[in-house]
Amino acid sequence: MTQFSSLFSLGGPTGAPLRLRFEQSSARLDLFGLPDVTRDPESAADSQQRLGILTRWELAIGQQATLEGRLDHLQGLLEVVLTYVRRLISSSPRHCGGEAQRVEIEPREGGHLLTVHSSQPDTPPLRLVLDSAELADLTQCLDQMLNDPRIALPLVPPAARPLPRRDLPRSAPLAQRLLAPTAAAASLLATAALVSLVPLPRPEPGRGAPSTVAAPSARGATTGR
Amino acid sequence: MSERPLPRRGLERLDLLLLAIEALDLHGSEAMLWCCDQLGLSGQFPDRVTLWRSRCRNPLRRASRRGQLGTDEARALITLACTLAQRVYPLLRQLVSSREPADLTAQRWALFRDRFSDLVRERFNVRRGAVRQLLDDREGEALRRAIVESLLLSAGPGGAARLEASLRDAQR
Repeated sequence: MTQFSSLFSLGGPTGAPLRLRFEQSSARLDLFGLPDVTRDPESAADSQQRLGILTRWELAIGQQATLEGRLDHLQGLLEVVLTYVRRLISSSPRHCGGEAQRVEIEPREGGHLLTVHSSQPDTPPLRLVLDSAELADLTQCLDQMLNDPRIALPLVPPAARPLPRRDLPRSAPLAQRLLAPTAAAASLLATAALVSLVPLPRPEPGRGAPSTVAAPSARGATTGR
Repeated sequence: MSERPLPRRGLERLDLLLLAIEALDLHGSEAMLWCCDQLGLSGQFPDRVTLWRSRCRNPLRRASRRGQLGTDEARALITLACTLAQRVYPLLRQLVSSREPADLTAQRWALFRDRFSDLVRERFNVRRGAVRQLLDDREGEALRRAIVESLLLSAGPGGAARLEASLRDAQR
């Protein structure tokens, strides 16, 4: 079953290589590198325990394949996978990534198609179909890596932003959504038409109207006197 | 992230996610209180009643409370949901894994569906269209799957920002 946060590091004296592992049931991410003691000379002791220079990384997914790469490949993977996962949480998965990031992911029947483009010439892209459990394991590994204080790499996760309304799946078809406002407008028009047919009350001669006309003249006569 | 209150849809989804956790974990409501204590959320939710009153801001509830959930309260509930999702991560994973035996997965989904539907009938206003959709055999299946996937992908501390952004959809 799931192995939570199985991390370890192999570090030693100054400049010794470091290895960090982030592991779940079907995904394992290994980072190999060195501490960057030049980055923060004042806390050199801390810097020796933190991975500041990435020499390479390895990602094993679901016993299907092992990917390898450098820092820019890891940044691309991080951006593409976490952006896709963010959309998937809103039930609005869409193709993410491209050849520039060397990673693409899109929904596929019963899973998610992950395509990894090699930086080596004439090497065909690697295509993996992940189920949601494998994608979640990969996401957990990436989250663990981002939250690990022993990592001092310039990795920038994508900003989590709300999706605009146009990107969200519609819960009801257009006809169903228009039904209520159309019925409301129709009933308003029908009511207005019925009300317009009711005759307006006419003032009866000799009651009300003459008295309102007579009052000012009576007042005028009083003031003139 | 925005300081505006969660939209109505977001409130509904957040409460449904917590309800799904209760459906997966028989001791889910106890675990919520324990987690609040562990996460330092006792200020917001000192007891079961306060937590229940916050969740009752969901307009789909049978005993729904008017008004909006405060931003801090909403963040606390999101953190709670992500932490509890991490706790039940193995169960969530089993439900969506294609490597598990198909008949076993079907039994797990049936168990989850029954418990989830019972909780929905017990606490939600079943006259609402959205609640009827949840209880519907055909439409409910896709909705339950979406809830389980959302929980799975927002499990753990890294998932809180993703979940909050998702709950604020259409609020840019």
